[in-house]
Amino acid sequence: MKYIYLVVIFISGILLASDVKPINNQLALKECGSCHFAYQPGLLPKRSWKKIISNLGNHFGTDASLDKKDEQMLLSYFIKNSSDNSNQYLSRVITRYTRADKTPMRITTGVVFRRAHDELRRSTFLRKSVGNPGNCIACHRTAKRGLYNEDYVRIPR
Amino acid sequence: MMKKSFIVLFVFAILANANGFNPQMQQYINQLKTQAQKSKSNFVDFSAKRGEQIFVSEHIGKRGKNISCSSCHSTNLRQIGKNVHTGKSIKPLSPLANAKRLSRVKDVKKWLRRNFNDVYKRQGTAIEKGDVLYYINSK
Repeated sequence: MKYIYLVVIFISGILLASDVKPINNQLALKECGSCHFAYQPGLLPKRSWKKIISNLGNHFGTDASLDKKDEQMLLSYFIKNSSDNSNQYLSRVITRYTRADKTPMRITTGVVFRRAHDELRRSTFLRKSVGNPGNCIACHRTAKRGLYNEDYVRIPR
Repeated sequence: MMKKSFIVLFVFAILANANGFNPQMQQYINQLKTQAQKSKSNFVDFSAKRGEQIFVSEHIGKRGKNISCSSCHSTNLRQIGKNVHTGKSIKPLSPLANAKRLSRVKDVKKWLRRNFNDVYKRQGTAIEKGDVLYYINSK
């Protein structure tokens, strides 16, 4: 009987494990999430986050500036949980496949993202219900929980 | 008689408050007024009408394209808007539809700084900021 409990715990552990650690920081959820899906820090290496967060005044063409204190707090959270500081599955894959001499500025242009989405047409990403490739949550309905497994994908029309 | 006038006063107080700012915000508005008076000696008060012009008029923004505040926030501030760059929905700007709006000075300053930059490629003047806040608050 004990054995069955262990098996159940083991299996549910596998099913519930996230691919990247979900965001557990109110500042990050608020500041990143007010304009776009709040990407988990574990989706890029720390050198990328340093570059992105130190240039929020010109964030992909938009002013996303914060006061210095919030910027520092955000940066330390993102560094602490960056892909190269995380042991979760997807973070490890991203760290391994990102060239050490490159500092990617977008999750969607990385090798891992492109390989994982190579069966999709560009027009699918651009349809109205999705908008752009960076809108993870449009198809990955469990993205907030850090679950990007294909089983949870539903592409809207 | 006494009771009646109290009730009337009470109702007026609620109505006045509904269109006013919270104490923290009122203090910020007063700061803007002081600045406005310094820059323009005949300044009387901010104007929601001027604020509307600032809000709906299009300008060449930070990205080099025509944009206005209403590009993302729409012209009905009680409705949900949409970020034109990311597609993410934006909760209503009107404090009547979304009580969190115009409630925290830190957030208000942050968004005025960012969004004037995105739409006007510069910071707003004290008069412009006050006008826009009056406009949003009136909707």
